[in-house]
Amino acid sequence: MSDIIMMGGSAGATGDAPHDAVHAFERHRAELRASKRVWNILLLAGFAICLGLSIYISQFYPDRLASGVPRIFEYFGTIIPDLQWDLLFEGRTEEGRAVPGSLTYWYTDFWDYVGLIFETILMAITATLLGTFFAFILSFSASANLAPSRWAYWISRRVFELSRGIPEILLALVFVFMIGIGPLAGVLAIAIHTTGALGKLFSEVNENASSRPIEGITAVGGTWAEKMAYGVVPQVAPNFFSYAMLRFEINVRASSIIGFVGAGGIGQELNRVISFYSDDRVLAVLILVVLTVTVIDLISERIRHGFIGKENF
Amino acid sequence: MLKLEKLTRKFGENIAVGNATIEIPDGQMVGIIGRSGAGKSTLLRLLNRLIDPSEGQILFGDTDIAQLSGKELRAWRSDCAMIFQQFNLVGRLDVITNVLTGRLHTIPTWRSMAQVFTPRERAFAIQALDRLGMAHTALQKAETLSGGQQQRVAIARALAQEPKILLADEPIASLDPMNAKIVMDALRDINKQDGITVICNLHTLDTARQYCDRIIGMQDGRIVFDGTPDLLTTAMAREIYGAEAHEAFNEAATSTSIPAAQPVRELA
Amino acid sequence: MGIASLSALDETQVAAVRAEHPGAFGGIGHQIRRWAPWAIALVYVIGSLWYFEIWKLADASERVWDLLRNFVVWRDMADWQYANIYKGIAQTLAMAFLGTLMGTIGALFVGFLAARNVMRIPLLRHVVRRFLDILRGVDQLVWGLVFVRAVGLGPLAGVLAIFVSDLGTLSKLYSEAIENIDRKQVEGIRSTGAGPLAIIRYGYIPQVLPVFISQSLYFLESNTRSATILGIVGAGGIGMIIIERFRASLYDQVAFVVLNVLVLIFAIDWLSKRIRLWLIGVRHD
Repeated sequence: MSDIIMMGGSAGATGDAPHDAVHAFERHRAELRASKRVWNILLLAGFAICLGLSIYISQFYPDRLASGVPRIFEYFGTIIPDLQWDLLFEGRTEEGRAVPGSLTYWYTDFWDYVGLIFETILMAITATLLGTFFAFILSFSASANLAPSRWAYWISRRVFELSRGIPEILLALVFVFMIGIGPLAGVLAIAIHTTGALGKLFSEVNENASSRPIEGITAVGGTWAEKMAYGVVPQVAPNFFSYAMLRFEINVRASSIIGFVGAGGIGQELNRVISFYSDDRVLAVLILVVLTVTVIDLISERIRHGFIGKENF
Repeated sequence: MLKLEKLTRKFGENIAVGNATIEIPDGQMVGIIGRSGAGKSTLLRLLNRLIDPSEGQILFGDTDIAQLSGKELRAWRSDCAMIFQQFNLVGRLDVITNVLTGRLHTIPTWRSMAQVFTPRERAFAIQALDRLGMAHTALQKAETLSGGQQQRVAIARALAQEPKILLADEPIASLDPMNAKIVMDALRDINKQDGITVICNLHTLDTARQYCDRIIGMQDGRIVFDGTPDLLTTAMAREIYGAEAHEAFNEAATSTSIPAAQPVRELA
Repeated sequence: MGIASLSALDETQVAAVRAEHPGAFGGIGHQIRRWAPWAIALVYVIGSLWYFEIWKLADASERVWDLLRNFVVWRDMADWQYANIYKGIAQTLAMAFLGTLMGTIGALFVGFLAARNVMRIPLLRHVVRRFLDILRGVDQLVWGLVFVRAVGLGPLAGVLAIFVSDLGTLSKLYSEAIENIDRKQVEGIRSTGAGPLAIIRYGYIPQVLPVFISQSLYFLESNTRSATILGIVGAGGIGMIIIERFRASLYDQVAFVVLNVLVLIFAIDWLSKRIRLWLIGVRHD
């Protein structure tokens, strides 16, 4: 009986099958299981070895976890603000001091945070524009169907792979060392990563472009650049735009954490409050960051949908 | 005068066009017929150099077109306009910009990249469109037009090139008889009024007979017939078309002649 | 209309065509609308780069060369403590594996709690979903930083960071997969009189398991990549070795480690592509 249920669960409705089918199925299943058993044992063994090694290497022993977990809750306890209902909307006193327990007290540095979040968004916009520009320029020679020559194809492909292969925070680290602490390092790092990530997507879009308009421009005597500008760009522009907007959303996240290595934005403040203070400031900044990212996502989604709607019309 | 001298194109072992030798005087309207895969399309693409020849020469005046490259090649393509079975317009660009791409060869790079065209060029493009009765669609996106309309825009683009030769690769194969007639009339009009040589691949025999001064028949990459329409006997035509003869001779199916009053009984 | 030629067009003809088709020539308004976005973008980029002090790039040349030289010229390669480096790489892989595994196990439960067709109590479902939103809304690196603060430097913080952010994302993906299943099969099981756990075991799991497995494998891949940088905030793995040696100005060693990381990342990309292809192939026969 239970086998019939399993059959129903995995293979769909076989309710009115003839009686013979049950035996045939049973036999088939037994064969399958026998041949798969070896594989299953091997997989399980491999899995167990991986698990054991991982636990050993990262010293993820139960006692460490047991002593660690309480500390996690302890820590989260310390970053919860001590708000009091009756004082919640209390302003500053005459000496300009905020009352403990009020929102004003919790967000003492509110305007500093706003300034940093503004900087974070600027960083994301600039990096996205720069990255999109370079990805756009290189994407045509990185498309197998459009590349003007073999070496241009090879070089632009490698440029894209390398610039998206290196994690942006590592790049930011290097840039911070080169040009000092500040948002410029973050912008450059994110722009380079964006070039690689978008470049790959753009060239895939290019490779799906219809060859007919391109042939049309070839036949009127257009140069390679004219073929791209007239034959390809009008076809791919809406997709490029969507991808760039999606990348912008990702870049807002990236620029909010890239400050961990000193590359500007709210991340720098986040790093500071988490690493050096164990108080409600951590939560204050975190809430703002999450809020910013969410709002940007919503706006960007609106723009993308509006744009696509208009295009289809 | 366009002169093909032993022009050959191979794809691997397969000879698409073999030893084509033709002389086409200026101002002639030439129809190339043959079944699909006979090498008509390859021959036309060789003339525009969308495909490079394997051997042989294409002489226009004193220049060997087969040897051109770079800027000179683009200049030749601009002189030798081409229209395609699938129109090959840029669907997302508006009609007038599509026509203006015919001017690309004559304008400096910065202008073409920024899509800046002078009022004179725009007026010229509108006139070309107007000649095909399409000026009212100038600001529509090309992809919103019907097939016949797109082909007329493609012809306007060719006119904007101020070509010496107009190549047409199966220009009416994707069109209904009504639009096919409009397009073929336009091509003949361009040939007769402007004196532009028109070389046209046609699948159907009656269209070729009706419009062309001269018919070239191709079979398996070779030229098997070359002469005026009245020299093309039915037997010859059957030989050229082989197994596809029935389809090619079925005038009602794809031809440009529209039975005006009586219903199309042959189809039933 | 006779023979047309661009050069034969005179100004009056152009004006006549223009009068008839003004739209095709585009007025000032059209020009502004066309160029304004580009102009704004250009002005914005230049302005923002200026605001971000782009000129610092020019001042940095000396240090750039210094750094680049160190990246290329490798000295004293004998004392680079390779064991330490490769232990770090192994640790990164271990972190990714454990974190993904824990995230998968957690998401198996939470995913069902967040699925509309399983969890019938709207309030509880919404609480679970908002909780997942929070887990997802905070970046993995921030979780790393928080856990380093809570449990100290080392891989434990990294594993927890991967676990928490995976729990958020995988649970959401799992719950979507659960919501998209074929209801008829579940009703079939329910009609046999099975209890709620049996319904999940026989009605849901067979349908969603392939999706679960492929999602988790994909996350294993992407976590291996992100685990390399978790160490930058002190959460163990190869990233920690990079940042330690970077702080100690051992740039040639940093270059070597980064090169190893890149090889690792490309190797994982390649391997996971192969595994996915292999899995698809297996499913076909």
